[in-house]
Amino acid sequence: MSSENMTLNLKIWRQKGAQTEGKLVDYRVDGVSPDMSFLEMIDVLNEQLVRKGEDPIAFDHDCREGICGMCSMNIDGKAHGGFKNTTTCQVHMRLYNNGDTIVIEPFRAQAFPLVKDLAVDRSAIDKVMMKGGYISANTGNAQDGNAILIPKPIADEAMDAAACIGCGACVASCPNGSGMLFMGAKISQLALLPQGQPEAPLRALKMVHEHDSLGFGNCTNHAECEATCPKGISIEHIARMNREYLKAAFTYHEKTRT
Amino acid sequence: MVTSAVNHYFRSSIGRKQLVAVTGLLLCGFLVGHLAGNLLLMVSSNAFNLYAHKLFSLGPMLYVIEAGLAGIFILHLGLAFKLNMENMKSRGKYEQKTKTGRGTTFASQTMPYTGLILLIFLVLHLISLKFGTHYEVTVDGVVMRDLYRTTIEYFSSPIATAWYVFAMLTAALHTSHGFASAFQSMGWNHGKYFKNVKRLGLIYAILVGAGFAGLSIWCHLKGG
Amino acid sequence: MTINLDAKAPSGELKDKWTKHKFESKLVNPANKRKFTVIVVGTGLAGGSAAASLAELGYNVLSFCIQDSPRRAHSIAAQGGINGTKNYTNDGDSVKRLFYDTIKGGDYRSREANIYRLAEVSNNIIDQMVSQGVPFAREYGGYLDNRSFGGSQVSRTFYARGQTGQQLLLGAYSGMMKMISKGKIKLFNRREMMDLVKINGKARGIIVRNLITGELERYAADAVLLCTGGYGNVYFLSTNAMTSNASAAWRCYKRGAAFANPCFTQIHPTCIPVHGDYQSKLTLMSESLRNDGRVWVPKKENDSRKPADIPDEERDYYLERVYPSFGNLAPRDVSSRQAKYRYDEGKGVGPTKQAVFLDFRDAISRDGIETIAGRYGNLFQMYERITGDNPYKTPMMIYPAVHYTMGGLWVDYNLQSTVPGLHVLGEANFSDHGANRLGASALMQGLADGYFVAPNTISNYLASNPLEKITTDDQAFKDAEAAVILQTSKLLAVKGKRTADDFHKALGQIMWNHVGMSRNEAGLKQAIDGIRKLRDEFWKDVNVPGDAGNFNLELHKATRVADFLELGELMALDALERRESCGGHFREEYQTPDGEAKRDDENFSHVAAWEYTGPNSSPVRHKEELKFEFVQLATRSYK
Repeated sequence: MSSENMTLNLKIWRQKGAQTEGKLVDYRVDGVSPDMSFLEMIDVLNEQLVRKGEDPIAFDHDCREGICGMCSMNIDGKAHGGFKNTTTCQVHMRLYNNGDTIVIEPFRAQAFPLVKDLAVDRSAIDKVMMKGGYISANTGNAQDGNAILIPKPIADEAMDAAACIGCGACVASCPNGSGMLFMGAKISQLALLPQGQPEAPLRALKMVHEHDSLGFGNCTNHAECEATCPKGISIEHIARMNREYLKAAFTYHEKTRT
Repeated sequence: MVTSAVNHYFRSSIGRKQLVAVTGLLLCGFLVGHLAGNLLLMVSSNAFNLYAHKLFSLGPMLYVIEAGLAGIFILHLGLAFKLNMENMKSRGKYEQKTKTGRGTTFASQTMPYTGLILLIFLVLHLISLKFGTHYEVTVDGVVMRDLYRTTIEYFSSPIATAWYVFAMLTAALHTSHGFASAFQSMGWNHGKYFKNVKRLGLIYAILVGAGFAGLSIWCHLKGG
Repeated sequence: MTINLDAKAPSGELKDKWTKHKFESKLVNPANKRKFTVIVVGTGLAGGSAAASLAELGYNVLSFCIQDSPRRAHSIAAQGGINGTKNYTNDGDSVKRLFYDTIKGGDYRSREANIYRLAEVSNNIIDQMVSQGVPFAREYGGYLDNRSFGGSQVSRTFYARGQTGQQLLLGAYSGMMKMISKGKIKLFNRREMMDLVKINGKARGIIVRNLITGELERYAADAVLLCTGGYGNVYFLSTNAMTSNASAAWRCYKRGAAFANPCFTQIHPTCIPVHGDYQSKLTLMSESLRNDGRVWVPKKENDSRKPADIPDEERDYYLERVYPSFGNLAPRDVSSRQAKYRYDEGKGVGPTKQAVFLDFRDAISRDGIETIAGRYGNLFQMYERITGDNPYKTPMMIYPAVHYTMGGLWVDYNLQSTVPGLHVLGEANFSDHGANRLGASALMQGLADGYFVAPNTISNYLASNPLEKITTDDQAFKDAEAAVILQTSKLLAVKGKRTADDFHKALGQIMWNHVGMSRNEAGLKQAIDGIRKLRDEFWKDVNVPGDAGNFNLELHKATRVADFLELGELMALDALERRESCGGHFREEYQTPDGEAKRDDENFSHVAAWEYTGPNSSPVRHKEELKFEFVQLATRSYK
């Protein structure tokens, strides 16, 4: 914990594009205030680079409030820096000490091809969602909100799962590059709610099959995803998905297009 | 391509993982039975040999059971191997990767390696004991294989004993992750109970590991 | 006058207007819908819900988002909740009451018919979101829970923990995902709209930049829906996301869409204060904190004692002092202004002095630390993560920050801009919040526009306008693209010394100081002058490294800043011309003796819609007179 301005040594992954080779490049940043956020520290570095006419470091970020899920980065070997329930944008520099060396890499997984430097393509997450991460309720279909009673504990548990921000830290931190946590969270959320029941079997089947075809790995229950998830989503939701999938595979009677 | 959900199950990540889980749990069950039988070594040589004879006398039934066991084992191993090969491809290749300390454990990380050690162990185990030196003994007028003697003789070697102890500690490590993991894979994880499942897995791993390893040492002391 | 500001609000009783309008709208035959293509720019609450709903109707939708996924639009950051007039709490709520609260909250600078429709469909939104699996908070009996929010006396706010915006957006997103899988929506991510293409006077397409490859792409359609959010980032520091920008709307303005009430911005009183010049954005702390926190500053100027060492009699609980009946729960515009007065008096606290205390000491000693933690635990945690201070032990420091923009492209009752075929939804339009927006109403408006209004009015537009066949090879597309290429190469050619952020920060300073919480004639004139100078300097001294042919974040930034530098001037001009105070627009010259906003209903009961007349001539101010048939204009008082 530092309270004075710091000098930091950064090793940042630079790679022009998916087709080119990348490497860690050393940078030094002076005058880092402990009140800065991690991304503001990168902003300062980028300003320096632009002034020198160099290509600034590309990284994804947007809301900087920990909710949009756009920021990523593997910091010192851990997704989002490995602090409990924290996204990269909410990591503040007071957690570091003067003279520290910080290694920054992109989120890496087969399913997340690199775009440039620290930015990766996470559209595989959307592709899984397209296969069933929804309830087919067209606009205008809805009945009164209170016509469906949902016990508070169930609503709360569904909310725990729904808190997923789709950042992909679960995939990036998984020793297998598996996407079970973000997918499990959605399948679990919708399986818990009565509205989600009619489509539950087909949803589980289609999403799991899509997940497998996109280059995500297989879950071997390390629970590293749960540990790095900035929203603290439990692997209980993966278990619920496993249950849903098992049930669906052996009871769903319509032919499934895969 | 139109396939049925059931067909796809056996090719999906979750389906295959669940098969690894079920076969793993069955093997866990087998280990308990095996340990219970082996504990007869400590009762008397006759008790142990009679137990072994009883098993051998099942005749063709024994082959069916053995084939089933082998099938379970091969399925467990084969699927785990396949999943692991896929995972080696899908995982991110980092320059630097560290654990948070809240998820991955030494046991979970080493599952493929402990599994491999157990496979080697199994082959050697069958060669040295099941297909080991054939002695005969007469108990209550019945001629039967003296497996007791084979066992005690085998464990008279300190190297063999050490290897067994090592292998059994490996088995403990493997099941310490595998037991609870299988429950999770099958979807039997409820916030209220899962802590206890994990505890049970740990107790199981310690008991089975210590049981087999302890027996090896006991045999060694008995023979030496 | 070249533009037509006919609001097209239907005649008749307030409560029948929308039903009547829907009935009188022309429809497109179900089999013909697939022959139409609609472009939807933006995937927030408005864009996401519109894209999904139009696709469900059978239109082909082309959806564009600036981030890597539609789920990241900034609607996601809304915390508090969404209003609905269900009256589940039996406290006397009704459509009429929500209508009335909203129009009063907006200081009588919005259109009656639009707001009534908004209140009317608010219930459908709640139902729709529940059916899509949004896990709203529930009571133990399984019924939906409500809470109260600023600016109203009933509990009508539905919420999902402190993440209501996220859950609603994910609901709209899930609808999009469904329609993408059915092939009715084509999604284009990491695209930024660069221009609007008009053919025969109608909006027929857009030019976008593929942010990854840098290539420009052309897309043609029968109608264009702009759902690109507000322009709060003109101030550089705001609670908006980093990529939130005004460029899409600004380019439409330059293509003939009138820009309405640009000076109406909302400054939210409870944000974490600025703590350094490296700061990139500001973080909102939910308004709900003011239910238990007491706002104060030291009575003495430049008091540098620790807050705990300042005895009660030396503290000025100024909101309680000035507004005895509303106290700490005074509305946003009023509370923000009072905080600014304290700073002006030299009583601000913290290292920059631009902060006031929000103190939970009394609430903790009254209700116990557990109760307070139960209510605000996650917010306290977030505060501590950002500032390093523990709000259980020491008072929070807060200060107002730019949060929302009520102004935007002018639209009629059909949400159509002054360019036929260009419809504007959500925060990007100006329609429903007048001069000040009430809490929990932004989510409601975005979804009302996207789910219920646009699907009806777009069908009417498509059915009643002859639309000739066009392709992206038309000259209009080529010209628009050439203009974008020209601007880009100009930016890259400057090769100056200052970064785009440098200019953006300088602009933000001017805007905050002169077009911020309080404005005056001299300051506004100074601002206009300053912005013009800054803009000249920008085009002479900005440094954009790299080229246009790849993922060039500095180019993206510089392009947006170039537009902010123009929009800022229009905001100042609008503020200058609106010689009254209303809602978030406070002109120092027009105030009551005790420092409250003084409206001029005689001369300014209108919407100011600005028409672009070219790069070297001044924009023209047009008026849409606001007619109040059902509401009595009154002075807002929270004393």
